[in-house]
Amino acid sequence: MSVFAKITRRDFLRQAGVGTGALVFGCHISPQGLFAEGLLGEQALNPFVAIVPVHGTIIISSHRSEMGQGIRSSLAAVLADELEADWGRVVVRPADADGPRYALDNKFYIPVVVPDYRKFIIWDKFSQFTDSSRSMALYYLPMRLFGAGIRLVLLRAAASKFGGVDLGECEARRHKVVHTPTGRALDYGDLRLLLEAQEQTQKGKVQPTQDEVTPWLKPSKKWHFIGNKDTMPFVDAHDMVTGKAVYGADADPQVPGMLTASIERCPVANGRLVSFDPTAALAVPGVRKVLAVLPPGASGGGVGTAFLPHAGVAVLADNTWAAIRGRRALKPKIEWDLRPAGFPLQNADYQSDAYRLELHESTGSPGMKLRSRGDVDAVFAQAPPVVERCYYVPHLAQAPMEPPAAIARFANGRWEIWAPTQSPDITQKWVGQIVLGVPPEEWLDLKVDTITKIREKVTVHVTLLGGGFGRKSKPDYVVEAALLATQNPGVPIRVQWTREDDIKFSYYNAVSHQYLKAAVDGEGKATALLWRSAFTSFFATVYPPPDFAGTDEKKRENLKRARAEALQDDLGYGAGGEYPHGSRIEFAQGLEDMPFDVKNLRIENCEAKSHIRVGWMRSVANIYHAFAICSFADELAVEARCDSKEYLLGLIGPGGPLDLKAEGVEHFDNNGFPVEPLWRLTPDGQPVRGPDGQPIPVLFGYPPDSRRLRAVVERVARNAGWDDKVKQYKAVPNGRGLGIAAHRSFLSYVAMVFDVSLGEPKGPNQLRELTIHDVYAVIDCGIAVNPDRVKAQLEGGIVYGLSLALLGEITVKDGKVEQNNFDDYPVLRIHQMPKNISIDIMEPPDPDKAIPTGVGEPPVPPVAPALANAIVAAGGPRIREVPFYRAVQVL
Amino acid sequence: MSKFQLHVNGEPLTVIVDDPNMPLLWVLRDVLGLKGTKFGCGVAQCGACTVHLDGRATRSCAVGVGVAALSKITTIEGLSRDGSHPVQKAWVKLGVPQCGFCQPGQIMTAAALLAANPDPDDALIDSAMRGNICRCGTYPRIREAIHQAAAAARLSS
Repeated sequence: MSVFAKITRRDFLRQAGVGTGALVFGCHISPQGLFAEGLLGEQALNPFVAIVPVHGTIIISSHRSEMGQGIRSSLAAVLADELEADWGRVVVRPADADGPRYALDNKFYIPVVVPDYRKFIIWDKFSQFTDSSRSMALYYLPMRLFGAGIRLVLLRAAASKFGGVDLGECEARRHKVVHTPTGRALDYGDLRLLLEAQEQTQKGKVQPTQDEVTPWLKPSKKWHFIGNKDTMPFVDAHDMVTGKAVYGADADPQVPGMLTASIERCPVANGRLVSFDPTAALAVPGVRKVLAVLPPGASGGGVGTAFLPHAGVAVLADNTWAAIRGRRALKPKIEWDLRPAGFPLQNADYQSDAYRLELHESTGSPGMKLRSRGDVDAVFAQAPPVVERCYYVPHLAQAPMEPPAAIARFANGRWEIWAPTQSPDITQKWVGQIVLGVPPEEWLDLKVDTITKIREKVTVHVTLLGGGFGRKSKPDYVVEAALLATQNPGVPIRVQWTREDDIKFSYYNAVSHQYLKAAVDGEGKATALLWRSAFTSFFATVYPPPDFAGTDEKKRENLKRARAEALQDDLGYGAGGEYPHGSRIEFAQGLEDMPFDVKNLRIENCEAKSHIRVGWMRSVANIYHAFAICSFADELAVEARCDSKEYLLGLIGPGGPLDLKAEGVEHFDNNGFPVEPLWRLTPDGQPVRGPDGQPIPVLFGYPPDSRRLRAVVERVARNAGWDDKVKQYKAVPNGRGLGIAAHRSFLSYVAMVFDVSLGEPKGPNQLRELTIHDVYAVIDCGIAVNPDRVKAQLEGGIVYGLSLALLGEITVKDGKVEQNNFDDYPVLRIHQMPKNISIDIMEPPDPDKAIPTGVGEPPVPPVAPALANAIVAAGGPRIREVPFYRAVQVL
Repeated sequence: MSKFQLHVNGEPLTVIVDDPNMPLLWVLRDVLGLKGTKFGCGVAQCGACTVHLDGRATRSCAVGVGVAALSKITTIEGLSRDGSHPVQKAWVKLGVPQCGFCQPGQIMTAAALLAANPDPDDALIDSAMRGNICRCGTYPRIREAIHQAAAAARLSS
């Protein structure tokens, strides 16, 4: 992820003097191996697993952040399943930031050199970046291999201890190795067993490689937890219902004298602090200090500055309430520079209304061509009947339930951080480079010794997250705490954001405008499709646009070079676009991979300049792309007087893998995963074949495949009783209707049907009241490792999608966000819920070969279009913009 | 500095605060260290800070410590000693929490609802729970868990 830094696994290993190759047990984590630091302490078996000898407790590090998706339970249970660990003797422990430790260099877990794997996979960089719905997709197989590998080592050690018996006579069962003919057993904690394992592995005789371990993976019928909704553990449930769970604001740094900071921030992106008068704030009882977060005159966070905080002044107090009161007194006493001299953007002139027109205009003329087949222009030139539509989605704020909070302490030249962050390793990097004063032009490409220094000096402990949704991928609030801690050596500083701070200083999901035009034949079938998408790319926030370096020639050169290098990088997150265009990541989220089988097609991206921080929110660009294309499909069906589901299936066609390359998409980001499998090769470049004669994949391929999209559509229609209900609702028109939408995102396929009704027009605007009776959802996520959490993510994703569709809108006036709190940025409440939600998860054809794909985000994109389509079917208006509450009455 | 006598989770306590209008939420979290009660909005919009005042579900961010001193205060830490309240048990059984942050508030509201109405229907649940936001969207399970807790409580009484 070169946009954030270049801490590569190679660098780390080189520095640590550690070689690669062994799959498990000791030598990777410590060159001295097991027991290097004593006999009875906790012994690291590999980066993820430790065991306490004698006692036998297995400790599994949870390196991905827990924010409600259940990953702390799921990944640990996958490993424990393969290890045959007794779950009652497993402890799951949150990992500190230590990206390289958890990175899965292919050379490490797949000991085969694949020269170009880096094109696709980011796991040698920020391994803890819990984002893009890919924890399970990335770590499912590695966790299984780790578990099975340790089991194999223990089996071999036990076979030796049992007197050199045949390995086939030994079996691992519930934390023991059993010699089945005699019933003799050795517990996993047994010192004799562990010392023998140590002896064997350190001699290098039995360091299991992936090839050796693979045949030892358990067949699916022997899984205890994987895929089982009844046995899969939920490690945090008890703490969560008793109030014991520790979130960002709850962490205890175990040092007395903590001060709480509330920060008044510059309301306009990239604005600067001029001066402030602390007197009034200091007069508030309990207030101790008033401090600038960044020095007056310094560049404040905003567009192009990634995770640098907004300019701000902090009130530090004995308790949160005093900090908030002090801040109220301080607010009128701050002078901001909202139009810093020499800064290339006039953010203080940013108006949502005017900007919407700007985006509309941008899509009015050809943009950058992303994908094309056939000849769209030739078809349109024949003046066929056309359907032309525009769709609009405003900025949206993630609004996680816990507003951002973080604790930092600076002592003895080191920073210790407690933070609810989705990106522990990126947080470490950002805190380090800011507090150590690394010049901005180096941020994109940190030197190795800087990285080493940061890793030595900054420790990040990760708490539970009270929701993330992408907001907590951006560590600006942690950097604030660190900057204040630097100014108060020895004192823990807790930065507590208010809800207003959270709403006003989000990294907003892009504002977007979509233009679609289709030519249709006599039967209403689309013969040509033109799609222009304009959205404010988050890359304008995380990469400085080139003119941001001002007039300093050296800075401009450095920035240009770093940016060019980053653009060369084929890794997903190096795929930043050329400002003011979007990035490959955003293009790949429902735009380039548009699944419909239309003979002539052109997809374009149009310019959109940024004037506020843009980030990502649960499902990101899929939100506006799915809303547009799935609504447009339904509009074509309506124009053709065709059943919406049948028309959708007709657009998808028989289906198959999309050949995007053939249509001009050079680099399809695919959520950072390869489209085609990478095959294991012999030294002379021939595929290695397994016993069955088939080539062996090193990495699986995840092609966008419209057959799978078709399958979820057919299934959801069946579950919803589509055909019968459509007939029934049409026979007696009473304001009830069905809508359907389907979308692939984060490698998974989701289809939804909404069943809604509309009441009689009421009120001054004569709006009809919307009732959502049923929502049917089907997901194909490869394999549901934790089926109950998959179901929960779908339920929650539907709620999240409904919040944004019905109610979501952030507007900006004079560069300042207008919304404040849940009263003017409402989200869905329980009484607004659909009456019934029905979730169905596609079973994999072969669970042993199935590979899981994304679950957290994929349920969100189809919600808005399926609902909009249902509203039309119920006799309501066609809604082409979010939020819907302006067009229908929301309870 | 102001001094108040509070009655929290069955115990009488004396607190000294720098502002007599400090909301109960911050007294609980910052003065008493009872961090199970959460800060979500500060304006009684989200319900994350819900506690019981004499058994009634109350947003602690919007009640001054002086007013709270007039009532018996129960927080999530005091709802049961060990998570054995029927609502907590139903919450675990149905896997209600996702991120879990809003759940202490949800549970306190639900417990107060069931204390007043042992067998609420969906409409009653909606009207009692609509002040509690869950961004993860656990609403369907909250509804189901309240029904289940109600049934369990009826069985055991």
